[in-house]
Amino acid sequence: MRLLVIEDYRPLQQSLKKGLREAGFAVDTTGDGKEGLWYALSNDYDVIILDLMLPGIDGLKILKELRSKGRQSHVLILTAKDTLQDRITGLDHGADDYLVKPFEFRELLARVRALVRRSYRKKNPQIKIKDLRIDLTTQRVWHGRKELDLTPREYALLEYLAMRTGQTVSRTDIWEHVYEFNSSASSNVVDVYIGYLRKKIEQPGKPPLIHTVRGRGYLLGGQP
Amino acid sequence: MTTSLRSRLVIGIVGGMVLLLTVFSLTVYILIQRALINQFDSALLSTAQVLAASVEIDANNIDLEDVQQMPEFNDPKNQTYYQIWEQDGAIVARSPLLGTDDLPRLETSPGTPVLKALNTRNDPPQRAVCLKFLPRTETTEQEAHEQPANDKILTLTVARGAGGLYNQLSLLRWLLFVASAVAIALSVLIAAFIVRRGLRPLHSIASEIAAVREDDLAIRIGTASVPAEIQPIKNRLNDLLSRLEGAFKRERRFTADVAHELRTPLAGIRSTIEVNLTRTRDITEHQSTLSECLEIVENMQTMVDNLLLLARLDAQQINLQSEQIRLAELVNSCWRPLSDKAADHKITFDNRIDSEITFESDRHNLSIIISNVLENAVEYADRGGQIRTTGRQADGSVEITVSNTGCRLNKEQAAQVFDRFWRGDSSRKDAGVHCGLGLALVERIIKALGGSTTAEVENGGIFKIRMTLPAK
Repeated sequence: MRLLVIEDYRPLQQSLKKGLREAGFAVDTTGDGKEGLWYALSNDYDVIILDLMLPGIDGLKILKELRSKGRQSHVLILTAKDTLQDRITGLDHGADDYLVKPFEFRELLARVRALVRRSYRKKNPQIKIKDLRIDLTTQRVWHGRKELDLTPREYALLEYLAMRTGQTVSRTDIWEHVYEFNSSASSNVVDVYIGYLRKKIEQPGKPPLIHTVRGRGYLLGGQP
Repeated sequence: MTTSLRSRLVIGIVGGMVLLLTVFSLTVYILIQRALINQFDSALLSTAQVLAASVEIDANNIDLEDVQQMPEFNDPKNQTYYQIWEQDGAIVARSPLLGTDDLPRLETSPGTPVLKALNTRNDPPQRAVCLKFLPRTETTEQEAHEQPANDKILTLTVARGAGGLYNQLSLLRWLLFVASAVAIALSVLIAAFIVRRGLRPLHSIASEIAAVREDDLAIRIGTASVPAEIQPIKNRLNDLLSRLEGAFKRERRFTADVAHELRTPLAGIRSTIEVNLTRTRDITEHQSTLSECLEIVENMQTMVDNLLLLARLDAQQINLQSEQIRLAELVNSCWRPLSDKAADHKITFDNRIDSEITFESDRHNLSIIISNVLENAVEYADRGGQIRTTGRQADGSVEITVSNTGCRLNKEQAAQVFDRFWRGDSSRKDAGVHCGLGLALVERIIKALGGSTTAEVENGGIFKIRMTLPAK
């Protein structure tokens, strides 16, 4: 899942980046309002973490602009402004959640996960596809009773495919939701990782879980 | 002494009424008393004169025949009595109605009758007139030319019961007393009523003031019309209220700003530590986390120190020590710690202050001012830009300017740079590090030193801070 953090206070921005990455997200960061708006418009982020007082353009204007251009990214406002009116204004401008600084990082993570689930209309934090069971909270994956050992990148790929169970997912979508903006990986890296993933979650002799849809992408849990 | 305006006014009005009525009643009483006594006495006197005229001396015999026929002395209802003495005090005649009592024989001379109230034991009281007279004689021709015989002069006292008179007077006294008492009692009520009515605007203002709450100072007193005497009080109170409102507003905004500015670095520290604790890490990672946190703490400390300094300046708890200062030198020493950062941004520094400029001021505070202004200039100058300082000494004052290129503020924004926590929009590139107190501090310290500060934007994006200080 790909996140954008627009926060101008560098120590906070850096710790958010580190913490969210370690939690399995692809994270882009910026400390400037204008740059933030450009990032948000040019990529389909799952969640945007937005500060309100920013240089360039302030957070509420970014939010307005995003919504008026029809962007569906979930936005979590993270700010030191704590009055009821601030919260109401933020949510009424089209934010999906509001968290006041200072905050507990675990809470932020839980809220981001909830927003991600909402993006893909998944109420249940556990996804089951045939014998495969994915726990979105702990990021553990089981095949039957056996727990699988996936690298963070493999897990991120599986999670994205699982979120869109039954849909054909294009390479560009995968690229946009699993890799960061500055990522140096080339586009066929997606195919390579799909290969790794198949080896870990599919068992010889059984029907495949991930289907390749020629010319369109990949499909998890369903018939092409 | 009572402090209630109302009771003071009531007591004053009633006291005035008492005094007025007393004087009035006494005057009326005395006038009427005199008139009545005069009337009574002149009636008495004329009775006495008639009596005196009726006495005849025939040879040596006193003829009282006429007197005995006068009706006044024969009817006891008239309570009128007489007694006549000769020169030697022998009683010549007396009213038969007197019984055993004697009338007093008063000292008098012929032609001047004496009138007096009698202190007799008898009741009712009497008033008497006493006069000396020469009785009429049966005149013959030759006798008419004889000298009147002085030894024939008689003394007459006529007394009449004055009970009716004194009753009238005492009735008058009671009447005046009761009327005054009633008038005074009424005046208490009327005064209380008038004063209560008159002071009603004060009460309504008092209840309006009582309704003012410290969390809502927007209301004003006396929106309805108030009497002219209360107008100044109302105006002063409303002035005070609006000043208080302004002060409370600034205070609230300031507190909110402080909270906000402390929350951001706190969130930074908390998040940095929490993320670091999410998993086991090696020591170098912990070390870098700790130094990140230390840096945040140092910035917070600077901010808290600045806030404290501002609070002390506001409370005028600052010590100033005068010493000789060479301005150019001081500016250079303030620049030194900033030179590395300026070099990183390719910013050049041009100190054009004449090395001859020296004046007396407080070195410590002056260096805080110069450092803050220079730091601000380094912060907001464009990459490859220039910072220039100038100085001018004239007429007991020193003017210092610090200007930098790359300013993106407009004129209105330039006027705001001294507000606490104000930051130009583009200035938040180092959020948390520069919290917008530096220039507020500069302005405040210069004020404490007796100077003034202005900020202006010149063509070509040059931002200039001009500081004027008194210099001996």
